[in-house]
Amino acid sequence: MIKAFAAVAALLVMAACSSEQKVPEAGTSVTPGSIADFKQNVGDRVFFDTDMSNIREDGRGTLAKQAEWLKKYSNYPITIEGKCDERGTREYNLALGERRANAVRQYLVAQGIPADRVKTISYGKERPEVVGSDEGAWARNRVGITVLQ
Amino acid sequence: MARIDATMDAMKSFFSGALLFALALLPSVASAQRGSSVYIEDRMNQLQQTVTMLTGQVEQLQYQNQQLKQQLEKMQTDYDFRLDQIEKGKGGGPRPPGPAPTAPPPPAHGPTASAAPPAGGAQGEQLYHDAFKLLQDGDYAGAERAFKSFVQSNPRHPLAGNAQYWLGETYYARREYQQAMVAFAEGYKVYKTSPKGPDNLLKLGITLAVLNKKQEACAVFQRFNQDYPHATDLQKRRIDQERQKNGCG
Amino acid sequence: MMIPRRTVLLGAALAPLAAPMAARAQLTIDMTRPNFEPVPIAVVDFQGDAMGGQIAGVIRNDLQNSGLFRSIAPGSFIEQNLGANSAPRFPDWRNVGAQGLVVGSIASIGGNIKVDFRLWDVLKGDQATGLSFTSQPNNWRRLGHIIADAVYKRVTGEEGYFDTRVAYVSETGPLNNRTKRIAIMDQDGANNRYITDGSTIAITPRFSPTLQEIVYMAYGDRNTPPKVYLQNVDSNRRELMGNFPGMSFAPRFSPDGTKVAMSLSQDGRTNLYEMDVRGRGMRRLTNSPAIDTSPSYSNDGTQIVFNSDRGGSQQLYVMGAGGGGDRRISFGDGRYATPVWSPRGDYIAFTKIMGGSFGIGVMRPDGSGERLLSNGFLVEGPTWAPNGRVLMFFRQQPNSGGRAGSVTLHAIDITGRFERQVPTPTDASDPAWSPLIPQ
Repeated sequence: MIKAFAAVAALLVMAACSSEQKVPEAGTSVTPGSIADFKQNVGDRVFFDTDMSNIREDGRGTLAKQAEWLKKYSNYPITIEGKCDERGTREYNLALGERRANAVRQYLVAQGIPADRVKTISYGKERPEVVGSDEGAWARNRVGITVLQ
Repeated sequence: MARIDATMDAMKSFFSGALLFALALLPSVASAQRGSSVYIEDRMNQLQQTVTMLTGQVEQLQYQNQQLKQQLEKMQTDYDFRLDQIEKGKGGGPRPPGPAPTAPPPPAHGPTASAAPPAGGAQGEQLYHDAFKLLQDGDYAGAERAFKSFVQSNPRHPLAGNAQYWLGETYYARREYQQAMVAFAEGYKVYKTSPKGPDNLLKLGITLAVLNKKQEACAVFQRFNQDYPHATDLQKRRIDQERQKNGCG
Repeated sequence: MMIPRRTVLLGAALAPLAAPMAARAQLTIDMTRPNFEPVPIAVVDFQGDAMGGQIAGVIRNDLQNSGLFRSIAPGSFIEQNLGANSAPRFPDWRNVGAQGLVVGSIASIGGNIKVDFRLWDVLKGDQATGLSFTSQPNNWRRLGHIIADAVYKRVTGEEGYFDTRVAYVSETGPLNNRTKRIAIMDQDGANNRYITDGSTIAITPRFSPTLQEIVYMAYGDRNTPPKVYLQNVDSNRRELMGNFPGMSFAPRFSPDGTKVAMSLSQDGRTNLYEMDVRGRGMRRLTNSPAIDTSPSYSNDGTQIVFNSDRGGSQQLYVMGAGGGGDRRISFGDGRYATPVWSPRGDYIAFTKIMGGSFGIGVMRPDGSGERLLSNGFLVEGPTWAPNGRVLMFFRQQPNSGGRAGSVTLHAIDITGRFERQVPTPTDASDPAWSPLIPQ
């Protein structure tokens, strides 16, 4: 038990470190506060394990950064798109995509983003991000994407 | 067994109750952990996952429990029959004849039958047991004559329904399905409320199916639940099996 | 194209030509028995009109595709130009190996055509059945299907399923920007037409019992969750089924067509609801924190089988049609999805996901007797023919090199013996078989 906690703590520290290293303008040419800035310097998506909808350790850092950025630039309406790989049935995946989008939304709201600013939409397996039938493609299609307008 | 079911149901509601309780606690946790709504979110998700996992396990256990119950019931019926035979000094040998592989005939005396007062007198009862002995010995023709004469001379005897049923079995065992059908139908008609009534109707359906009268057989199976709502689970399951086997709608 | 209703008139049984019909013809097949041989059948071009050959073609194709018949090539026929009004030379037909012989004659009456057809039992030398129909000439395909249904019924003892339609999702374009439109076609792939315009994704169509309407799910603009729509297939007029804040999907008609069950998602939970088609009243059927979807009414409308992950993985559950009394029925290995109750009530078909592959299977409504009929990299979404003897589903090949794998419709009989691809003009998924078209 203690070991597990230690491992989690270590991961958190690492995530914190890496985010601190990245956030300062890494010599990018995008306008701060633009959608391109959000995508390039914050990261617009988090990934999920097969059939799961809980935010993974590696997604927490991304969502924390997203929340920071979105609080700073509060004019963007937000839609979270939830998606799934093709290894499930169509209707179930629609619901699973919704559950994933909602997990991202809840996470952002918990970080202080007003709930009425964040909508969700599920694409199930109807609009994959990557075309392919291998684990690499599937892993990138189990995704929650924070889309700004 | 019913107790195990009840326990599982209790477990089920306990887990959902536990979740509600935990959720109710969350506000105070939140105030204790200032600014940690992410923490609450995580805890809720974990609890949700735990409840889901437990729900799945309870479902599996209930299913296994159900399977075991069915097996046990089958064994119980078998033991009851054997013990019954031993008590009567007949040796707990295998069951009496009949088309054993497809239709193990249920025990000769249901508990109701043996408990019934011997209204037809001890002499009638002796006749019945003699006939039954012939059946057990595999002398179907002899058993046929004996059961027939028993029913004719003791039509109102508490065992008359049983005798009529076994008369049908003597034909069935010899593949004389037409006569078996007539005997079972008679048993159903005349001794509908006898302890053997449900068996009679079940066997009538099976015989009709063997005679390739599927429609009639299905109608008989259909009738069963309505006529004998309190039949044993074993009988009901057998009806279900037969309905499926014969493609009844 | 309107769905022609009441345009085919069943005149009467055709009086036998030769000796009165025998009590029990030999021309029968028990399709539930393993290893039956397909019945060799000769279908002669119908006489009296040029469309006779086309009608015969429809019949041959239907019977051959069922897997229960083997259509004998017309080129090998010995007796020529045989119509419905003369007795066949049976030895000639025995010689070409036929057991069944279908003949017909077409006559023009006013603007309509009258078609007489007979099915002969070649081995017995006797008529097995004969019927007469009147119809508008442009309904010749339906006439062919109706006659094929009559032959199928006479030989198998089961209702036919050829005079039916299939709604499905037509798919074109690259996977990450795919056009998905609802289409309707005849069961054999003819008369294909589109119901939605493809401007947004539309999926999961289902027919109403009268075939006059379909329900499906479609996306709107990019920020609005997809919703369930009801659309008239003749007028193409469509309406939203209830306006809920979240996503609504997986719609299914009740057997009497008065209600539609569907899933509603909100805050990550997905539950089942039932909507009254006329009054639009809404009733909640399930209340779980999990995903409850893919409902299917039992044939008598008293129960609903559905898909839920409340126990940690997708499994099948049955409940009363008004909700409540849920019990899990699937306990095999793997995950179970998209349950569909047979129109006969005897089976529930489903998609099964085991490790790296998918399967199409059936089980009894109590969960016993599970049997897999087909499997592959991805097979999904079984739908029943109205006679409950044939299933259609879709099969997707793996994507490779950035290109989408093909997606095709397939039909299979419930013994799992005979699978064939159903032709569609584009890639196709999500088939939904209609009831028999009202005559």
